[in-house]
Amino acid sequence: MNALELDKVTKNFGDFCAVKDLSFNVLKGSVYGLLGPNGAGKTTTIRMVMNIIIPDKGTINFLGRKMDEEMKKRIGYLPEDRGLYPKMKIGELLLFFSELKGLKGAEARSRIDHWLGRFDLADWKLKKAEELSKGMQQKVQFIATVIHQPELIILDEPFAGLDPVNTKLLKDIMLEMKDKGVTIIFSTHRMEQVEMICDNICLINKGEKVLEGNLNRIKKEYGKNTIVLDYEGEAKYIKDFAEIENIDDYGRFMEVKLKKGGDPQDLLQYLTGKIRINKFEVKEPTLNAIFIAKVGEQNEKNSGGN
Amino acid sequence: MRKILAVIKREYLQIVKTKGFIIGTILGPVLMSLFLIVPILMSVVSVAEQENIGVIDASGKLFAELDKKMEQKLKDGSRRYLLEEYRVTGDISRLKEALNEKVLAKELSAYLFLPADISEGGEVEYVSEHVSDFDKTNNIRNALNSIIIGKRLKAEGLDPNKVGQLMSRINLSTKKVSKRGVEEDTGGTFIISYFLVLVLYMTLIFYGQAIMRGVIEEKSSRVVEIVLSSIRPFQLMAGKIIGIGAVGLTQYTIWGLFGIGFTTYGGALIADVFPATSSFNMPSIPAYIFIYFVIFFILGYFLFSTLFAAIGSMVNTEKEAQQFMTPVIMMLVIPLLLIIFIMRSPNSSISVILSMIPFFTPTLMLLRVCILLPPFIQVGGSIVLMALTTLLMIWLTAKIYRVGLLMYGKRPRIREIIKWMRYK
Ligand SMILES: Nc1ncnc2c1ncn2[C@@H]1O[C@H](COP(=O)(O)OP(=O)(O)O)[C@@H](O)[C@H]1O
Ligand SMILES: [Mg+2]
Repeated sequence: MNALELDKVTKNFGDFCAVKDLSFNVLKGSVYGLLGPNGAGKTTTIRMVMNIIIPDKGTINFLGRKMDEEMKKRIGYLPEDRGLYPKMKIGELLLFFSELKGLKGAEARSRIDHWLGRFDLADWKLKKAEELSKGMQQKVQFIATVIHQPELIILDEPFAGLDPVNTKLLKDIMLEMKDKGVTIIFSTHRMEQVEMICDNICLINKGEKVLEGNLNRIKKEYGKNTIVLDYEGEAKYIKDFAEIENIDDYGRFMEVKLKKGGDPQDLLQYLTGKIRINKFEVKEPTLNAIFIAKVGEQNEKNSGGN
Repeated sequence: MRKILAVIKREYLQIVKTKGFIIGTILGPVLMSLFLIVPILMSVVSVAEQENIGVIDASGKLFAELDKKMEQKLKDGSRRYLLEEYRVTGDISRLKEALNEKVLAKELSAYLFLPADISEGGEVEYVSEHVSDFDKTNNIRNALNSIIIGKRLKAEGLDPNKVGQLMSRINLSTKKVSKRGVEEDTGGTFIISYFLVLVLYMTLIFYGQAIMRGVIEEKSSRVVEIVLSSIRPFQLMAGKIIGIGAVGLTQYTIWGLFGIGFTTYGGALIADVFPATSSFNMPSIPAYIFIYFVIFFILGYFLFSTLFAAIGSMVNTEKEAQQFMTPVIMMLVIPLLLIIFIMRSPNSSISVILSMIPFFTPTLMLLRVCILLPPFIQVGGSIVLMALTTLLMIWLTAKIYRVGLLMYGKRPRIREIIKWMRYK
C-alpha cells in the first residue's frame, strides 16, 4: 500500500519549470528520502504535496485519496522556511498548533509536556519563542509537526541547523516513529543522513527525476566496481587508466569508478610498480558518489543538448 | 471551523493582553471626557481677582459713568474692578510714564487713556503687562461703547433706551425636520457626525494596520508555512480579520458603555458637583445613527482589512509596505477632505454619488445619515454595493495573500501581483 503517490506532477513559475513530470510512490511505513542539490525542486514538490502550492499538471494521492482537510490532520509537516510567533510562550504556541490540528485542550497539554521533556525543553515552556536559540526553536517546530500523532510526516531539510547531539536525537526519534508504523518523507542534500535512515530514495535535479528506488538495490545496480584507494605517489598514473569512468580525488585517498565491465583486478595490475598502494578496496559506491555522478551526467546531457 | 476559531482566539488574545490595548481602551474615554468636561469647568470656575485699573480721563467727563458701568462683581460680592482716576495736570506723557511704572510694580493691573476727542473717534489706549485677558478688555470696550454711543445719541436728541430696543437683533433658531418631526438643533449634529466619522476613520486605519503588521510578522518569522500545513490561507486570513475585528468591537463596546453612562449620568453629575453648569446639555447620539455606525464599521472594516492583509502578504517589512499603503490610505483620507462639502450640501447629486462609492461609503454615507436620513434606496443601495465590493476584494486579495505569504525576498511589481491573481 502506498502512503503517497505522485503522478506526472509539473509546476512552472512563469517560464521557469521548477518540477517536471515527477512521479514516485512512497510505501506505507517506509522512510523515503527526497534528494537533490540546492534548487532541484524538493521544496516545491513538498509544497505541492502539502497543497500549499497547486501543481499545473499531474495528480497527488494519499492512501488513494486526494488531499483534503481531513487528510491534513493525518499528516505532519515541517517546512523548510520555519519559524515561531516570536512573542508567544512555547506552551501557548504548541497549544495553538495542537488546536489547529483539532486536538482538545487536556490531551494536547499532556502531549506537549511529554514532548518538551523528550527534547529537554521542559524548563522553556513559559519562555517566549524569541528567547530560544535556533536549534531549540527547531525542536519546538518538530514537536508541532508530530503533536497530533500523524500517520505520515513530511520533513523539509529537518537536520539543517542542528548540532550533532540533536541530529542524533532527531534521527533516533524518526526511527522510533518508523517502528510504530509512521511513514516518513524527508528532503535533504546531505547524503550521509540518507544512508543512515532511508529505505527508498528519489534523486531529483533541475526539477526532473534522475534516480529512484530502494537504496540497497540502487547501490548494487550501480555495480561493485567502485574502488577506494589509499596511495602515495602521482595521481596522474591512475587517471591515465583507460577503463575509468569517474574519479573522486581527495589527495591521498581516492574513490574510483570503473566503466561497465571494467575489472578492478586490471586496475590493480596496472598500478603495481607505478605508485605505492596502502589500501585497495572494492566496494559499493557511496550515495554521495552516485549523486555526484548522476547529477554531473545529467547536467552534461542538458548542456550538450542545447 | 474549529481551526478558524483557534486563529481567532490567538489573534484576539495577542492584542487584548497587551498593555497598549488596555491603556488605550481605558485611557481613551477618560481623555475624551476630560476634553468635554475641562472647558466647561474652566468657563464656570473662573479665577478672577480684584484688580486696580487706572484711568486718565482727558475729556474729564467720562470717569464717573465708566466707574458706574464697570460694576462686575466677584463671587464674594466685592467689585471686580477698582477704578482710580488720575487727573491730567501738565504733561500727559509724563503721567503715562508714571502709570507705566505702577503697572510694572503691579500696583495697577492696567490703565486706560481716554483722549479728549473720544466721542469723535479718538483712540482709547489700554496698557497692561499682558493684553490677553479678553474677558476684561471686552468689559471695558462694552462699557465705553455704551457710554459714548449714548452720548452721541443724546446729542442728536434721541433716547438711548428707545434706540436700544429698536436695534435689538433678531434670533435665528435652527431646527431640523425629519420623518420623526421637528427638533431643535444647535450644531450638535455637526459635532456628532464629525466625531463619528473621525472615530471610524481612525479605527479603520488602526486595525487595518494591525492586521498588516500581523501578516508581516507571520511572514518574517517564517511561521506561516507551519500554520498553513493545518489550515488554508483563506481560513488564516479570515480568522485573523475576525479576531482583530473582535478586538475593535470589544473596544467600541467598552467605549460605548462608557459613553452611554457619561451622557445619561455625566450631565447630572457635573451639575451636582458644579451647580453653575446645570444649563449644560450633554450631546447624545440617536440609536439609529449608532446602528448605522456599527454596520458601516463592520463593512468598512472587512473591505479595508482585506486590502491591508494583502499588502502585508506582498512585502517583507513594514517599510516596504509604505508604497502599497499609500493608495489605500488615500481612499480613507479623501472622504475626510470632502466632509465640509458634504455637510454644506448633503443632498446634491455629487454628494449622493460620492457617498455611493464603496470605498467612501463608510465615512460619507455615515455622515449623510447623521445630517439627514437619506432615502432608503440610497443607504440600502450603498450597503449592498459595499458588500458586493467587499466580497470581490476578499476573493481577489485572498489569491494575492495565498501566493504572497510564501514569497520571500524581493518586493513584487504590480505586474507580478496581477499574475499571482491568475495562478490556479
Ligand atoms: N514561488 C516561486 N516563484 C518562482 N520561482 C520559484 C518559486 N519557488 C521556487 N522557485 C524556484 O524553483 C526552483 C526550485 O526551488 P526549491 O523547490 O526551493 O528547491 P530545493 O528545495 O530543492 O532547494 C528554484 O530555482 C527556485 O528559485
Ligand atoms: Mg528546499
